[in-house]
Amino acid sequence: MALKLIRKFVASSLLFVTAASASAETFVFTAIPDEDETRLVERFRGVADYLSEQLDVDVRYIPVKSYAAAVSAFRNNQVQLAWFGGLSGVQARRLVPGSEAIAQGVEDEAFQTYFIANTSTGIDPAEDLASLEDQLRGKTFTFGSKGSTSGRLMPEFHIRETFEEAPEDFFARVGFSGNHTRTLRLVEAGTYEVGALNFQVWEKELENGNIDTNAVQVIWETPAYPDYQWTIRGDVNERFGDGFKERVKEALLALDDQELLESFPRSGFIPASNEDYEPIRKTAEEIGILD
Amino acid sequence: MSGFDLSGLKASFGGERVLGPLSLRVREGEKVALVGKSGAGKSTLIRLIHEQVGRNSSLVPQDLGLVNALPVFHNVFMGQLDKHSTWYNTLTLIRPFAADRAAVKDLLNDLGLAEKLWIPAASLSGGQRQRVAIARAIYRNESLLLADEPVSALDGPRAHQVMSLLRDRFATSVIALHDVELALQYCNRIVGIQDGLVELDEPSDRLSSSDIMSLY
Amino acid sequence: MLSYPTVRASLIFVAVAVVGLLFADIAITASNPWRDLGNFFLGVVTPNFFSSEGLLTALLRTVAFAFVGVALGSFFGFLLALVYRLLPVRIFCAFIRAIHELFWALIFLQFFGFHPLTGVLAIAIPYSGIFAKVYSEILEEADPEPRRLLPPGTGMIAAFLYARIPDVWDQMRTYTAYRLECGLRSSAILGFVGLPTLGFYLEASFSQGLYSDAGAMLILFYVLIATIPLWVRPKLLPIYILAAPFFLGEGLPIVWGNVERFFTEDIIPAPLRSGEGMAGMVPWLSDLMVNEAMPGIWNTVLLTQIALVATGILALLAFPLISNHFGGPVRRTSGHVFLVIARSTPEYILAYILLQLWGPSMLPAVVALALHNGGIIGHLIGRQTNTLRLRPDAITGFNRYTWELVPRVYRSFLAFLFYRWEIIMRETAILGILGIYTLGFYVDSAIQNIRFDRAMVLILITALLNIGVDALGRYIRRKLALQTMPTC
Repeated sequence: MALKLIRKFVASSLLFVTAASASAETFVFTAIPDEDETRLVERFRGVADYLSEQLDVDVRYIPVKSYAAAVSAFRNNQVQLAWFGGLSGVQARRLVPGSEAIAQGVEDEAFQTYFIANTSTGIDPAEDLASLEDQLRGKTFTFGSKGSTSGRLMPEFHIRETFEEAPEDFFARVGFSGNHTRTLRLVEAGTYEVGALNFQVWEKELENGNIDTNAVQVIWETPAYPDYQWTIRGDVNERFGDGFKERVKEALLALDDQELLESFPRSGFIPASNEDYEPIRKTAEEIGILD
Repeated sequence: MSGFDLSGLKASFGGERVLGPLSLRVREGEKVALVGKSGAGKSTLIRLIHEQVGRNSSLVPQDLGLVNALPVFHNVFMGQLDKHSTWYNTLTLIRPFAADRAAVKDLLNDLGLAEKLWIPAASLSGGQRQRVAIARAIYRNESLLLADEPVSALDGPRAHQVMSLLRDRFATSVIALHDVELALQYCNRIVGIQDGLVELDEPSDRLSSSDIMSLY
Repeated sequence: MLSYPTVRASLIFVAVAVVGLLFADIAITASNPWRDLGNFFLGVVTPNFFSSEGLLTALLRTVAFAFVGVALGSFFGFLLALVYRLLPVRIFCAFIRAIHELFWALIFLQFFGFHPLTGVLAIAIPYSGIFAKVYSEILEEADPEPRRLLPPGTGMIAAFLYARIPDVWDQMRTYTAYRLECGLRSSAILGFVGLPTLGFYLEASFSQGLYSDAGAMLILFYVLIATIPLWVRPKLLPIYILAAPFFLGEGLPIVWGNVERFFTEDIIPAPLRSGEGMAGMVPWLSDLMVNEAMPGIWNTVLLTQIALVATGILALLAFPLISNHFGGPVRRTSGHVFLVIARSTPEYILAYILLQLWGPSMLPAVVALALHNGGIIGHLIGRQTNTLRLRPDAITGFNRYTWELVPRVYRSFLAFLFYRWEIIMRETAILGILGIYTLGFYVDSAIQNIRFDRAMVLILITALLNIGVDALGRYIRRKLALQTMPTC
């Protein structure tokens, strides 16, 4: 009886909300919350407007609070397209058979993670991570989000491979700041002594003059790996018409609004495929994030 | 210096005058019994006197004011809280000093309560509670006693024992009593209150119980 | 004093907490915590009410979710209360209330996604369990006399409506109204996992250091809670309850296939799903227990015990602030404001703020839990002291506090504290989502890695731990003969 009532309740509230919005199918997309929210909302509203114009359907962006929420929304078919990181993309495509990576940023072919340190630690930049072992051991360290490729997966991989220890054993304290901007702010403020973040976020903030270079500096750069990509569900053509997937892909590849690209920041989008992200999948399995 | 001279004592309740205006002068060494019907204003008078003479008196209010959660010892010791430093009081709360323990125990002996020293006040009978309040007043060690029906819950012999103890321990006292016999026996001055005013004020050796009964 | 069971029990708890401190990770790791704290307070006193277009919508949604969630919880809680004497019902209720609203939300998010139902059920389900328990306790206490005097042959329902409900109606109404306040707090923090309530915007403002925006939201939230008596009127309630479902926002449509998938695939342990069978379960479970459950349980218990004692100390220090045995009206008014703020701010939000300001360790969590819970208990105890009438010659100042008041209120103080033990543990587990290594941290990690099977096992462990502490708390309260009214 309880279930019945709940269903009734759902049905009535659904009726109300769908009446307002269901006139035409809305194409919904999301993105992993890897940066400050206002910036994301600004950026992706621009993308929504652009796609809506190009595709001639209603396009809506919904912000989420975690990487997993982005993956779940994609998996649950509540969003049909997502701007994922390397790891979240791999997770999402494993969970949704038929989905594919259709485009990535020019920079995403060879993405990097920067290790940064508060200058009060006196750690000097180095060419290889192993030579920093003594200086890094016992420091406090922050990743970005738990599900981030550049903020968690790759740095953890390199820490484990180089020092042959789990991060929580190697460092005195390990935290998850939540996103790259916050990692930068926390290390800059000295809350954590060392951190790892997306190199694009660092470069953009540096260019905009938002970093106190007397307080924080890059101490090591990882080798390149593939990262962010647009991933789309396999069943969009059934819902939005034949060739829809191809049209989305073309629209993304043709995006040349400099201001919009600058906000990512990417110089443009190029085609991508699921196979491009095999290295990420292997790494994730290796450190036990993927089963 | 335990006497007092108060005038213009009055009290109202709900806009209605319940006491006074009246004056009362008590000399050192006087043992005053306040007698009269219940509701005549005895308790109010005791309260007013206490407000005027302040802390230089030992009080036994009718509702006793015991802290039920504390043992008898602490309830008695509370009579001297304002005479010790705060840290001393706080330590005593945790672990009483030997000298105080002995003193309180002696006092409770006189009141027949020695074996209850560490029992919480909550588990005492009405008469025992009354004696704890009396012990607190005696322990306070002032020469003026202000007591409101201090033996109302005690049986005959016990009441006499306590009244004589109070007579010996306090130089001066003002005690509200409904028991006329006790008043005549243990006090040397009787003040009768009727409708909030002094109706009778005589040394007790000039009165008999029938004189007082007219007030009731 | 040591012979008192209450004192002995207190000392044991204090000793456990002190030993716990030796193992706990207590530190301020931010390099300039006081500057940040200063900036934050500066933000609160210079609130910016016009920053975000979403602010009023967020408040409206917060209220709507609270109303719908609490109304459903109260309805189903009442039905459950009628059959509460059945053991399976009691176990069921204990179980659903042992899981925190945020965990429920995290579960529903996986298959309902960002649909209003996620938020509504996240409140309604645990609240049903709590309502069932409290309503049944209230019904138990109804005077049996009127029922015996009813004419023989009176029907069960009529007897219930005539002889039982009227007697307890006031109490049930008071409790339900009180629960609504709790519902507002629950509703607000659901925003932290992505639902469109206040927490959503609060998190966004805070993480970007927009303290004036965050200050405005907090102030509006306090005003909302402080003015409940003004805008929640019995006559208006039906209107609110009928209207609330229409203000939940649209969210995203539910895909029912996801629900089935969640229960038939996602939460099935990985070895069973992949066909390894029971043989695979042993390494899977032991890995989960050793690497996640055990450290999570250890940290949760440790933090709970320290926070419990800190709560007690704060409550004892705070109650004189509002007690009319001390200070003048000015101090009492500011005391009231302080305690209202402390108890109206959910622990989760306090912990979040302090973590941002002081850096990660258990310290922000301890302080947050102590402030919120100590504020609640301090308020209740302070109010209780205001009903005490002391003798005219009662001592004043600190001696009045230690000799007259604390001994008189200590038992009810302990009763409240042990009642809140389980609540503190439930919150402690949840604070893990913020990055403190309690059970919530591992639940969140499992969800972030899309391993719902692991998340469910960990949530189950958290629930059992809460049920255990609840039972222990009740046992101690019974042993010490402590009685109390429920708080949230």
